[in-house]
Amino acid sequence: MKDTIITAGAKRRELWILLACFVVANMVNWYAIIRFAAPWYEIFTQIGYVVVTTLVFYLLILILRLAQKLIVYLKQK
Amino acid sequence: MNRKEFLADCGKKGLAGVALSLFPWLESCSEKAQQEVKGEKARIGMIGTGSRGLYHIKNLLRMPNVEMVALCDDYRPHLENAAQYYPNAKLYDDYRKLLEDKSVDGVIVTTPLYLHGRITMDALRAGKRVFCEKSMAFTLDEALDVYNCRKEMNGVLLIGQQRLFDPKYARAMQMIHEGKIGKVVGVRNYWYRNNDWRREVPSPELERRINWRLYSEYSRGLMTELACHHLQNGSWAMGMLPEKVMGSGSLLHWNKDGRDVYDAVSAIFTYPNGVNMTFESIISNKHFGMGEQILGTEGTIDLVTCMRYTDEPAPKGSGMHQLVAQIENGVMSNSVFAGTSWAAETSSLAPGIPIMDNVTISTGESTVGAEADGSIEIMEAFVHAVITGKQPEKVLEESYYATQFALLADKAMHENAILTLDEKYRVPYEPMK
Ligand SMILES: NC(=O)c1ccc[n+]([C@@H]2O[C@H](COP(=O)([O-])OP(=O)(O)OC[C@H]3O[C@@H](n4cnc5c(N)ncnc54)[C@H](O)[C@@H]3O)[C@@H](O)[C@H]2O)c1
Repeated sequence: MKDTIITAGAKRRELWILLACFVVANMVNWYAIIRFAAPWYEIFTQIGYVVVTTLVFYLLILILRLAQKLIVYLKQK
Repeated sequence: MNRKEFLADCGKKGLAGVALSLFPWLESCSEKAQQEVKGEKARIGMIGTGSRGLYHIKNLLRMPNVEMVALCDDYRPHLENAAQYYPNAKLYDDYRKLLEDKSVDGVIVTTPLYLHGRITMDALRAGKRVFCEKSMAFTLDEALDVYNCRKEMNGVLLIGQQRLFDPKYARAMQMIHEGKIGKVVGVRNYWYRNNDWRREVPSPELERRINWRLYSEYSRGLMTELACHHLQNGSWAMGMLPEKVMGSGSLLHWNKDGRDVYDAVSAIFTYPNGVNMTFESIISNKHFGMGEQILGTEGTIDLVTCMRYTDEPAPKGSGMHQLVAQIENGVMSNSVFAGTSWAAETSSLAPGIPIMDNVTISTGESTVGAEADGSIEIMEAFVHAVITGKQPEKVLEESYYATQFALLADKAMHENAILTLDEKYRVPYEPMK
């Protein structure tokens, strides 16, 4: 099995994407709080949901990125 | 909690002033008022010693400051029956003779409805203090005459609307007026029985005398015999009087015995703010029994079972939960079958909260009188009024309008019309809230 090298740039990019997902997931939580007149402390109490939402967003983006790569790869062939 | 405990409880909570200012007519039942008449006697005569008369006699026997001095009935068996309880009472078969009797201070009228107005007015004019069973009178005009006669004579008149003196009703009304069930948006009354409403008749010529309730010559049937109790709850809860009345009545099931009053009625009373009060009575199905329900935006009070039900919505979950649920609904919903309005709503199974502890609940089945339904308290108030000569506040107007609206609904049913109470029948009305 080959060693895989993950470059510092790649790691940074993934972290930025994850952070962006986290921010968006928080914004969704804020929207839900405003939309359903829920208490503001849910910013903290719903953090679990926010984390899960972050991972879901990240996964979705990952799938899109992989799909994009696959299309490019197939086109180049 | 009984009446005395209720008043004491109000005192304990520093509510005595509030409770009595809300329900000033209950003052005559208070310990203070009872002390006021301690050792004094109310000399009473009863006209009409039938079943309700006997029911009152049994309650009066327990009251130390009552002296039953005269009894009157033009049907001998009933008179003799009552005389067993008061062997020293003078017996009359003509009520006018009883009214001439100077030893009588107060008169209890428990005759059939068509005689209420006439006997009450004669008694007031004879200077007697009067308790007359509901309904107050047989016609709209006669009710007004009775009301005016009381005013003219500056006399004492109580009508047998005992719910006004029932502590559980008073407590429930207090809660309603305090907004415990939110804004009142409906008043729902029903009284179902499954019997022919007949009494046994010893010989055929006594049919109309004994079963007077079944004939429009003597009674207005279910509206004056049953509904008047419920209608008074509506205005007590709403703090206003209905604006218009409509209804429908039929002789549906018990229609082969010659009676001519409806055995099934349904009436709607609309208040000026748009709230509807309904009354329905059927005497050929008793599944739902009796119900007197005040419906509010935040809860419901069932006066009969003395329970309060809250309409608090189920906990909603966090904003995120609700958002996810909404997205799910959006994905799952089928536009052809629309939204939740299609979902059948069954009645709530939420357990109620008792309004008071240890209450006795009436099923509404008895045609004579229920236990612990305010009948003792209203009699105590009458006895107090006979001794003191003080007319209890507000209750006469409440009883007056209960009678008027019962009669008006009956009229609406017969005329197949939507009716309003004519201005000439309006008397000063101060809401009981
Ligand atoms: N408040 C309540 O909850 C309640 C309950 C039951 C009855 N009531 C009312 O009580 C009244 C009496 O009902 P009831 O069930 O006792 O009826 P009932 O027929 O048993 O009694 C009426 C009595 O009046 C007598 N009477 C008739 N004409 C008379 C006259 N001219 N002079 C003297 N006596 C006369 C009759 O002989 C009879 O004994 C009715 O108005 C009824 O609506 C009220």
